[in-house]
Amino acid sequence: MRENLGFALEGAWQVLAVGLLLGAGLPAVFALGIRSLAWGTGGAAEVAADARPHPVGRVLAGLCFLVVVAGIAGGLYVILAAGGIA
Amino acid sequence: MTEATLILVLVIGTALAFDFTNGFHDTGNAMATSIATGALRPKVAVALSATLNLVGAFLSVEVALTVTNAVVKVQDSSGAPRPELTADHGYALLLIILAGLVGGVLWNLLTWLIGLPSSSSHALFGGLIGATIAGLGTAGVNWNGDGSELDGVVGEVILPAVMSPVVAGAVAAVGTWLVFRITAGVAERFTERGFRWGQIGSASLVSLAHGTNDAQKTMGVITLALIAGGHWSDTGAVPFWVKLSCALAIALGTYLGGWRIIRTLGKGLVEISSPQGMAAEASSAAVILASSHLGFALSTTHVATGSILGSGVGKPGAQVRWGIAGRMVAAWLITLPAAGLVGAAMWWLGHLLGGYAGPLVVFAVLVALAAYMYRRSQAQPVHPGNVNDEWDGTPATARREEVAA
Repeated sequence: MRENLGFALEGAWQVLAVGLLLGAGLPAVFALGIRSLAWGTGGAAEVAADARPHPVGRVLAGLCFLVVVAGIAGGLYVILAAGGIA
Repeated sequence: MTEATLILVLVIGTALAFDFTNGFHDTGNAMATSIATGALRPKVAVALSATLNLVGAFLSVEVALTVTNAVVKVQDSSGAPRPELTADHGYALLLIILAGLVGGVLWNLLTWLIGLPSSSSHALFGGLIGATIAGLGTAGVNWNGDGSELDGVVGEVILPAVMSPVVAGAVAAVGTWLVFRITAGVAERFTERGFRWGQIGSASLVSLAHGTNDAQKTMGVITLALIAGGHWSDTGAVPFWVKLSCALAIALGTYLGGWRIIRTLGKGLVEISSPQGMAAEASSAAVILASSHLGFALSTTHVATGSILGSGVGKPGAQVRWGIAGRMVAAWLITLPAAGLVGAAMWWLGHLLGGYAGPLVVFAVLVALAAYMYRRSQAQPVHPGNVNDEWDGTPATARREEVAA
């Protein structure tokens, strides 16, 4: 019982750390991408409707989405590796 | 047909039935948020989830033969059944497995009927533990493992069930808070469209992970039964037809869609918006994948429910229906003992009658109770047409005509 509790707490910390990094971090990066896209689009995409479009926002958005896609690829790799395929 | 062949056939049938209930019981874990926010139409969501579960089940080539070792001692560490149980073509072992599976299926059906997302793995383990206690006594249960790793009922079932929803909820709450913080000031219709894609992607990952995790358990149980009956001897592989039938059973179940549970998860706990849905599913995917990578057992149901609750906590001003959450936690607490009681009762029934009659009567009880619960569900059906109705406990009007639409 004592040993199990120790192992479980240790595991929970590791899962929490990875979870925060990927499970909360990637959505935040995705949100950053959406924000950049809105900034890049301008006009009605933002609440301040007179905002001008900023082309650099689209580039930033692309980078953010790239990071998210890389994270998803990492998740797929874990699934495939667990199945002994990758 | 000999007694041993009969019970083996019934075990396989019941195991596939369990796999099927596992599918529709857990569709909501991945897809409830996408259905609730309208990111995917209900039918499209269950079709996508079913396909990914099917693919996932085939990806799980790792041998899951020792799945019962986590909770009961009916196999050795290689996966072979304990020799004292395999006399008479494994009749004793098969009766334990059959009774345990019946306990798991019946608990899954009852919680589905009342729309509560409880863990399918807990139902299976609970049934097996109950049947094992009845058949072999409490010494047949692996309560704590040997202390060298996370193992036993405590380590593989109880502790993960306590911790995983908390961890998933914390991650989802942080994620939701960050997302709303970052996108403050962006027009809502703009964010809704973007986050719907994020939601679909993260929910798909959860579906795939579910297929790899859960289908294996049934594959392991069926293969164990085949070995006990002397129809298979390779403890390093699962027969292809077992893999195929389990994959199909879980995918069909998923496609059926457990609409009652989807409704509770998507509408009952929190009024969910796309950014919350994405944060919740991303948290679930990360926690499930990190745990399975590190070798911890957990239930996707506990993780998904924790995540959805967390997404309600993390959104400023969101309302969380804690009463519903409390009912779920209560259901989780009694899943293990309740499925265990059914498993034990079924073993006694089967053992008392013995021979051909025992397993047949146990199976008949399963069919009768399943049919009864299905009929009860039809009095107040939940289906793709009313799954997203405003939450007031149960959908007010059962709009049957929309099923055809």
